[in-house]
Parts: sequence; structure tokens; C-alpha cells
Amino acid sequence: MKKRGIGLGCSWYGTGYGNGFPDVSSAFVEIHDDGSATVLTGAVDVGQGSNSIFAQIVAEELGLESQDICVYSGDTDATPDSGTTAATRQTYNTGNAVLKAVRQAKSSLLDYAAHKFSCPTTEGIELKNGSIGVKGDPSRQMPLADMVFQARLAGERFISAESSTARSTPVDPETGQGAPYWPYAFGCQSAEVEVDTETGMVRVLKVVAVHDVGKALNPTQVEGQIAGGVTQGIGFALLEELELHEGKIKNPALSSYLIPTALDVPNIEALYVEDAECTGPFGAKGLGEPAMLPTVAAIINAIDDAVGVRITSLPATPEKILQALAEKKRGGEC
Amino acid sequence: MKSSVIGSRVVREDAWGKVFGQTKFPADVNLPGQIYAVVIRSPHPHAKVLGINSEKAMSLEGVVTVLTAKDVPNNSHGVLFRDQPVLAEYVRMVGDPVAVVGAETEEIARAAAKLVVVEYEVLPAVFDPEEAMTPAVLPLHPNLRPTNVLYHMPIRRGNMEEGWAKADIVIEKEYSTQHVDHAFLQPEAVLAYVDERGHMVVQTATQYAHYDRGEIAHALGLRFSQVQVKTLAVGGAFGGREDISLQIIAALMARYTLRPVKMENTREESFYSHSKRHPMKMYYKTGATKDGKLVALEAKIIGDAGAYASWSINVLRKSAVHASGPYVIPNVSIDSYAVFTNNPYAGAMRGFGAAQTVLAYESQMDLLARKIGISPLEIRLRNHFKVGSTTATGQVLTGSVPLDQCLAKIAPYLERGGDSQ
Repeated sequence: MKKRGIGLGCSWYGTGYGNGFPDVSSAFVEIHDDGSATVLTGAVDVGQGSNSIFAQIVAEELGLESQDICVYSGDTDATPDSGTTAATRQTYNTGNAVLKAVRQAKSSLLDYAAHKFSCPTTEGIELKNGSIGVKGDPSRQMPLADMVFQARLAGERFISAESSTARSTPVDPETGQGAPYWPYAFGCQSAEVEVDTETGMVRVLKVVAVHDVGKALNPTQVEGQIAGGVTQGIGFALLEELELHEGKIKNPALSSYLIPTALDVPNIEALYVEDAECTGPFGAKGLGEPAMLPTVAAIINAIDDAVGVRITSLPATPEKILQALAEKKRGGEC
Repeated sequence: MKSSVIGSRVVREDAWGKVFGQTKFPADVNLPGQIYAVVIRSPHPHAKVLGINSEKAMSLEGVVTVLTAKDVPNNSHGVLFRDQPVLAEYVRMVGDPVAVVGAETEEIARAAAKLVVVEYEVLPAVFDPEEAMTPAVLPLHPNLRPTNVLYHMPIRRGNMEEGWAKADIVIEKEYSTQHVDHAFLQPEAVLAYVDERGHMVVQTATQYAHYDRGEIAHALGLRFSQVQVKTLAVGGAFGGREDISLQIIAALMARYTLRPVKMENTREESFYSHSKRHPMKMYYKTGATKDGKLVALEAKIIGDAGAYASWSINVLRKSAVHASGPYVIPNVSIDSYAVFTNNPYAGAMRGFGAAQTVLAYESQMDLLARKIGISPLEIRLRNHFKVGSTTATGQVLTGSVPLDQCLAKIAPYLERGGDSQ
């Protein structure tokens, strides 16, 4: 018989290196004579999309489009050290460094422009749609490219180097008391599963994921992180296990070490909550790791909801579920 | 705030190249005159290398050289401690690299690798972390720690006796998680060469080019300014590309041969050349009042660090800090341990120690809710962190803590579905 159940899982995750280790990211920014810009950062884009996020941050600040920005990363001869792509830290940490850097370059640009436009303060200058000018005065506007080129002829260049450091405190080694991480990212997911009581097979029918992202800098990438996280969570909950015999891996192949295939991945509804993290770029926090955390709990709790057995050892293989069902039938405690 | 680009669905610049197959991953780059290198790995989990005879391998046509531990200027690397050999003389896990063969083609290199004869003195090995913790078991890293306990983190908050006295319901259970591989789609690959400046250039897929540069420079005795690590497209990482895999070995071969060196793992080799997710044993005892308020948690978490330290200290710290779940629990006693064994070494993987504890704390929540007679959602609503809550480490959460908003959004999806046939 096939029985269905729904489970809920919540999680939290302290992002960044944590425990007092200085979490430093760096970035260089150059605004070019044609009004485009380049960002150099050591932050490696491992496929999660950090380069796109950095392009968006710079474009937003300079009133440009993402495609006007070149992001070059992860080359030690050309880019500054921005720490590792891990700990859910690149959007937050390197995002902050990129934001600081572009704002620094922009600040000299605004100074120069204010002077050019005979504007008493830089407050009155705005960058919008590739133009620079005095707010509300269409007669004092020019393409950003013209301004940057004129500045070059006057010996001015708009380049910057900045670092951003996130701070945490080490915990006391005796009591564990302290503030080891910041910010924390929260989330919850529900899973609906179908358990076959004859075979012990679990099919995940649907996962709904709600994650706290501070601010979704790119909703498509948020959804991508969630889809990937849930998929990895399904593997962790139901399929993946390195089989070892005296330290030797018995299944070092994707035919025997099973990861989810397209057929194992259910409909994933990816939702998010925007509650700005004031220390993050535009209010953002990271999502990379949090996206996979609640899945395992949602699935294990859903299995219990479906068939009344509590699986306490991962992965929840058909063998373990059948054994638990048999024990339940015999009246054992589950 | 005006916000047009931020918050928009900008298409990733790398999307086109990946869709059309133009993206260059490290396996896709080659140089004229390059040789291929293949690693010889230990079949034993704990052994001393007594001797390596490469005569037969060298006699194969097309073999350029065979390098061993004695050829490595500074034979160590590692993220927290440099406790991992580039090429091992002392083996702590199956798969430890003991030698590397360079040859004109990959086929010759693989054939030659089979002809290298390594003589081992096999030593007793330990695979169960709880056994490895006992003082009777000899330490795997006596220079680092007197026992196999690499790390212990205690968290103490409140008063346990008072906590248990207030608990109407107590759930006590053991949970365990498995060794997990990152199983990224692109196995490790490297192209290393000495360029026209005399600099060592290493093109690879990594999570942290600057870290790799430091480790390559250290092992080869070069300055940072003489080593360039250039990251090509990364085919998935998930923590498995934090520790060094082939980078130093490829650079070493390039340095000795002054030829460009290409290395590319098979899937099987890949399983042996990066870290794993820590398997954890988690002993949980959680107490709540009959109206569903958490009052006490006692947890013991034992993580199998495997053969090398990698990030284990940070991982098990993260397990301990997150062991309570996102819930206020006034009385807490948590102990987490990272323990050396002769299993494949464990390190960073997405979730980093906070992924395993979710199984334990969220199972406990459902079990408590059932005994109390409230819904899984309700018990979480009664205990979750809010702005101003204090965590098990005494951290007061200020700023963005919107778990309440997350739960409000998911609540409509928690209605029960019917059984199907």
C-alpha cells in the first residue's frame, strides 16, 4: 500500500567563517572611459552565480545595466584575495566589498561631476540609465562615458580598492558562550512523500521551501539555490551513502553511489522572505548552505507522518523503512 | 531606495557558454607538449611506506618520471594544520597519494602507475570514532594531539537539574548520519606549467584560488608572487574543492619535468581525492513542558574526522552551536567531538556540520509535539527564535530573524494529503 505524509523541517545557519576569525573580502573596481566598468575579485564563482550578483551590485550603484559590467574573478595574478567560496559568504562578504569598492570609485566620480556641473554638493548628482547629471535638471546631464572620458583628459581616473571584514567573536572554550556567527539565515521546508509499505520505497512528491534571504538580489538565482539545495537534501535523506569496508570505498562510482536524478526530484516550490539584514549588501544574506538544511528533516518527518515509523539513521533506505515497519507490526517502539 | 537591477532576474553571463558547450572546464584546456600525470594511491588505511620501486614503470616507453615523497620540498598541506602529505611516506587512509607518474600520454601514465611497486608495512587501523576516542588506541597525529580526539567543544548554559525538573516530557534518542560525497559533476582536473616568466601557473577548478596558491608555494618552496592559480569554470564544488586535491602534485611534476602537466581524475579517483561529509553520531535528550515549551537539551555529537584534520574543528563547532535548532532552550549541555580515524578524511560540505544536527533536533521536535498532543507547526511556533532571543551560546539575536515569517508562509502547505493507491 502507498501512504502519503507531510513533514516540516526548520533550520538556522550562521554564515561566514565565524568564531572570531576575520572574514575579509576584497575587490577592485575601475570605471572605464566608455561608461562601462570592471570588477576584479578573488571570489570564485563555483556555479552559484556570485559573478552575476557582483555585476548587479555595481550596475545598481552606477546606474548601468548588468551587461555593462565585467566581473573577473579567481585569478591570483589579477584579483585580490576575497576568501573562500564557502560558508555562504560570497554574496554577503564579497558583495559588501564590491559595494564598498564601487561606492569609493563612484564617490570620486561624483566629486568630479559636481565640480563640472557647478553643483555645490555631490548629493545633487545622480547616475541613471547610463547618464550622469544634476537631479531634476535635464539641461545639466551627459552620458556617463563622456564624463569619465573628460575626467581622463583632466588626469582623473575612477578606480578603487576596498576590503570588507565581517566580525564575529570566539566562543569561550570551557562554556561555549559567545557570539560565533553573524548573520544567521533561517528557513523551513515541507515535504510531501509517498511511502510504499511493501517495498519501503519513498517518493518525494513535493517540497515547499521558504528561506530567509534578507533581500533577493536576483530571484532566479534564489530559486536556483533552493532547487539545488533541496535536491542535495533529498540525496542526503534517502539515497547517498559511501559504503566503507576497512576504510576502502566500495561504491566509488555514480552507478553505485546514488545521487538524485531528474526522476527523483519533485516539484519544488521556492519561496523566500525579505527581511533586510542591515549589515548586508542591499539587505542581503547568503542562501547557499541554508537551502539544503531543512529538507532532510521534512522528509524524515513526512515518512513518520505517512507510515508511523521514525527513521533515525540516514539515509532512509527501503531496507530501513521495511525493518521499522516490521518492528512496528511486532509492537516494538518506533 | 530606487532599485532596478538589484532584485531583477538578470540572466547570468556564464549561462550561454554552459548551454552551448563553450565553457572551458579544467579538463578542456591543454598545451602543446604536455605530459599526463597519474597518482598511485595507497590500498591500505594505515601503513608505512617502506620502499617504492619505479624501475619497471620507468622502463615503459613514454614514461618521463616517477616522483615520491622525497621529491617534495615541503611535503605537507592542509587548511587548519598542514597535516596532510603531498606524497605520503606514512599512510593514514586508503587513497593517500604515495607516488605520481608522468608520461607522454594518459594511457602510458596509467599503465606505468600499475608497474610502480610500493612496499608497505601495514599497521592496525581504527574505523569507529567512539573506539578511536579511547586512550588505548594510538593517536594518528601525535604531533597534533595526544589522543585521536582532535576537538571537543562544550556548550553550557543555564542549569540542567532545573531544566529536567521543569520537563514534563523527555525524549531521548540516538541519531546517525552517513559519509556523503560531494559528487560534483566535474572530477578534479589541473593543467600546470612553468611559464615564460619562470612562474608556476596552475589552472584548475577550486573554491579558493588564493589558498591554493599559498599551499602550492609552500610545498614547492616558491614565493606567492611566483605562483599563479587561475580558476577555470567550476563544475560544482559544495565544499569538496576546499582542500588541495591534485594542484600541488601537478605543479610538482611540472617543476621537475619543465613540461606542461595535465591531470584529470576518473570518478573513482575523485572519490579518493577530496573530503567527505562528517558522519555523526548524535545522542539527544530534549525536555519540554506539557504546554510545549522547550526547557532542557543534552546532546553529545561525535563526528568522524577521518584521517586528517581538514576543517573538522570548525565543522564540529558549527554542529555544537546549531545543535539546539532555531529554538530558545534555557538549559543546555552540548558536547561535540571531532575524532581521527583511518576512514576517508572529512571536511567541508554544504551545511558544514549544521546539516547533520537538523536530523536530530527536528526529529525531536516532532516526537515531543506528538507526546504533548500539538501539531509539528505549533511546537515550533512556541519555541522559535525571534529578535531578541538568546541562543545556546548566549548570543542575543538582533537584526533579521524572520523565522516567524517563514513559518507563516509555509503553514498553508502543511495540510494533510490523503492516501493514494
